[in-house]
Amino acid sequence: MFKYIWKKELQGELYTWKSMLWLVIASLLFSFTSYLLLTDRELSLLDQTELMLLLSQIIIVVALLIITIDASSIITAEFENATAETIFLAPLSIKDFLLGKFLASLTLWVLLFIVSLPYIIVASSGSHLTMAFIGYTALLGTLGIVGLVAFIFAVSLLLRSTKNTLTTSLITVLVLATPALFSTTLKNNALSQLFSQIDPIDNMFSSLDNVLVDYQTSLLQNWRFILPLVMFCALMFVFLVFAARKFNEEGVIKND
Amino acid sequence: MKNLTDMTDIIFADNLSKSYGNRKAVDALTLHIREGEIFGFLGPNGAGKTTTIRLLTGILKPDNGVVVIDQLLLSEQKKEVAQAIGVVPESRGFYNWMTAKEYLSFFAHLYGVRDDIDKRVEARLLQVGLLKRKHSMIGTFSLGMRQRLGLARALINNPKILLLDEPTLGLDPQGQEDIQQLLKKLNGDGVTIFLSSHLLNEVTNLCSGIGIINKGKLVAEGTIDELGKMTNLQDKTLTQTFLYLTSNGGERDV
Repeated sequence: MFKYIWKKELQGELYTWKSMLWLVIASLLFSFTSYLLLTDRELSLLDQTELMLLLSQIIIVVALLIITIDASSIITAEFENATAETIFLAPLSIKDFLLGKFLASLTLWVLLFIVSLPYIIVASSGSHLTMAFIGYTALLGTLGIVGLVAFIFAVSLLLRSTKNTLTTSLITVLVLATPALFSTTLKNNALSQLFSQIDPIDNMFSSLDNVLVDYQTSLLQNWRFILPLVMFCALMFVFLVFAARKFNEEGVIKND
Repeated sequence: MKNLTDMTDIIFADNLSKSYGNRKAVDALTLHIREGEIFGFLGPNGAGKTTTIRLLTGILKPDNGVVVIDQLLLSEQKKEVAQAIGVVPESRGFYNWMTAKEYLSFFAHLYGVRDDIDKRVEARLLQVGLLKRKHSMIGTFSLGMRQRLGLARALINNPKILLLDEPTLGLDPQGQEDIQQLLKKLNGDGVTIFLSSHLLNEVTNLCSGIGIINKGKLVAEGTIDELGKMTNLQDKTLTQTFLYLTSNGGERDV
């Protein structure tokens, strides 16, 4: 049953040009970054590995922000446009409903990743790290987005409002991105070190640094960064299951 | 459940209650609706009609009470109940970017229809007079056309029972007449209809049984003649009976 929800979402994204707009915005941002990296006097002096790291971080941040904005309305729009009642009058389980929506959000990530591929290939040309660059951006991005979308869907089911879900999700992404902005001195602090170790975005960036700058390309050399991301996904899935159960208890109409 | 509900009851609600904060929207409502009946459900604004339909369809969870639809306990067999009923709810949201045909095909898939979907979709569009607009975007539809499309969606799974919340709201007289004729035909084919309406002439024309709800309580139930006998009025039309039964705080004093 979930495939019909997935298909409907993709059809809606195409008909309303929503996804197309996001993909155009993403390619403009990547093009602008690439232009700066090539033409700006100081940035053009960066080592190729530093340039690749910067580009991979930009790809992941842009994808996280676009997915956050898109996923924040994918469920709540059903409540706000009064389509949730008709959709749940059909013999559709919340599991199928969520899975269909989940696949639609992941499809947008896949499309964003495809848009970023030419930039990755050009930035890493002549380097032996092209495949590692592609593979780790795909793996880390997918793990981060799976966890983030699970969180956004859980918040959507609990709040049932696009505005509130989007605000909560954007604040959460900003908080999770904070350790990446910590200076080296601040990172010496025990508390910020702990935060960095469990923070999914910081672990994504640390793993990319490990792969692209330090040439530690095997999964064994990156497990300490990937494990917190897997834990983040698992935790967010538990939160989503809790929200889905609460939704089943409350019913489709919360208040009249 | 068989000891609670008569075998001829296709819709049975027992002691159904729902509150919003301190306000009781539905208060200990008990309903028996027989198979093949067109049951009119009347009540003033805010009386609890929409809440009752939402409780009968499982969209809203009751605080108390049970619902049995076609011998299926709603709280335990929601999917089976969903297959047996077709609903036109009060809130009529549509996917405006879909065509009428795409919309009905999407719901046909959700109801598990696999064979001859196009044929079934076109038959439903023909029934509600929208076949010529099958490739039009729903966003371009008038209110009346949306009402018809909502009814076509409710019929997509060939339901045994239709629960309709103001199905002719916003339709012109010809549109109302067309829908009434369609409902009579469906009833003739064996479909039981639970009709919530403000239009008393519509209820008079269509319904064999009537329930009147006021302030969440069922204040009267029976045929038009039986309801008339509950009052001391000279004029025993449905309008006068309805006004009488709903004007004294929902308490029947006859």
